[in-house]
Amino acid sequence: MCKDSNSFIVLMSSSKIFLQQVLALLAKDLKTEWRTREIFTSMFVFAVLVVVVFNFAIGADTELIRQVVSGVVWVALLFATVLGLQRAAQMETDEDSLQGVLLALHDRSALFVAKMLAQMLYLLMVVICTLPLCGIWFRIDFIARIGELCLTFALGMLGLSIIGTLFAMIALHTRACEVMLPILFLPISIPLIIAAVYATGQLIDGKSLKDISDYLILMGVFDAVFFSLTLIIFDSVVED
Amino acid sequence: MQKFSSMRYSICHAIIMYIVMTVAIYLIFIDVPPDKMQGIVQKIFYFHVSSALTMFFAFFVVCVASIMYLWKNSDWWDAVALSAAEIGVGFCTLVLITGPIWARPIWGTWWSWDPTLTLTLVLWLIYVAYLMLRLEAYDPKRARFAAILGIVGFVDVPLIRWSVEKWRTLHPKPVLMQEGGTTGLTPAMLLTFLVCLVAFLLLFFYLLRERVSIAQSRHTLTVLRHKIDEILVG
Repeated sequence: MCKDSNSFIVLMSSSKIFLQQVLALLAKDLKTEWRTREIFTSMFVFAVLVVVVFNFAIGADTELIRQVVSGVVWVALLFATVLGLQRAAQMETDEDSLQGVLLALHDRSALFVAKMLAQMLYLLMVVICTLPLCGIWFRIDFIARIGELCLTFALGMLGLSIIGTLFAMIALHTRACEVMLPILFLPISIPLIIAAVYATGQLIDGKSLKDISDYLILMGVFDAVFFSLTLIIFDSVVED
Repeated sequence: MQKFSSMRYSICHAIIMYIVMTVAIYLIFIDVPPDKMQGIVQKIFYFHVSSALTMFFAFFVVCVASIMYLWKNSDWWDAVALSAAEIGVGFCTLVLITGPIWARPIWGTWWSWDPTLTLTLVLWLIYVAYLMLRLEAYDPKRARFAAILGIVGFVDVPLIRWSVEKWRTLHPKPVLMQEGGTTGLTPAMLLTFLVCLVAFLLLFFYLLRERVSIAQSRHTLTVLRHKIDEILVG
């Protein structure tokens, strides 16, 4: 009994340290970002550019735009994720700051969780700024389905951040980081993107949450599987 | 002595493979009658499906070898993963070439975005990325990163399958096992297919053995070079 309660206390204190380290790393990243606004600016401007360029590619057919707008939004987010991760990775390699962070960590998965949460917050900001613009340009009422859309976007952004953060840490140690990140990241994220695009498209079409439940479950499973897998293998990514 | 027996084993393997392949080609082109509906075009099925199954097996080997590498940290498992990935990409390319050759006369189109085709194409992209990562990554971490991608890529397969399944299916339902346990193939066709599959698997294992031994020789060479460098510098 005594042994059980001891191990319970050890578990509690180690998870408390883990949480503290995640929050400290997250605060560090957000503070740097707040001072420079470098990552958010590049992601947002890039996402808007993708949407605008697609607008010219699609033409003025309102019905056609309605059909493809979910795809355009998700492609913009996907590319913005790649760009944001590249900027974040570059900041870590400058002055070798990643090494310093790794030396200070009790459990290195804390770095993964913190980076993933930071990436997710940047993506959230990009979505909050880009979706209204899409609504105005393409005359689509996103507000009417805001609850369901929030759920879909949360699951999609979580998946992008998990996979993206894992591959950004890998691409950091390759010769051509800018090329390797999208080459690794895009094919793996295909199931997530298919589900996110179709779920968003059907919500815009006025379908209910029940109609898109398959896609939501798929995204949930994708997130859960890759989050746990990354937690298990992340140590071998950052090991020296 | 060990080298000699390994070479003898390799030659035996090659001879058996040669015989089974010849039998398979005889069965396909001379013995088995063409399909009543599809005619001569159906014969590509024997190569197409055999390559596809061998490809899946190769990628499964990549995943297992990657897990074993991360666990045991032995260079042999890394060599197996690399070799299986290279051969798997080769078979995947074969599947992507033979598929459209069959689809053009039967479906009337070279390509359709149906689940099975899409899955194969995405798999090709993932494992080409795997090979590129091995070229691009810095040396000490190369094998570990590749192992991680080998695992993540294989875990992604059922998810890709599930997601692309939501689309309209044009691909013929698997003819090997249909509802009620019957097969869509005549006994002669099934026999031909099984012989062909065995031939492809023998080819896979032969290529794997040879490729692993090349990878190991290369590793030994690098170690020796480092030693010479050390002696010269020291």
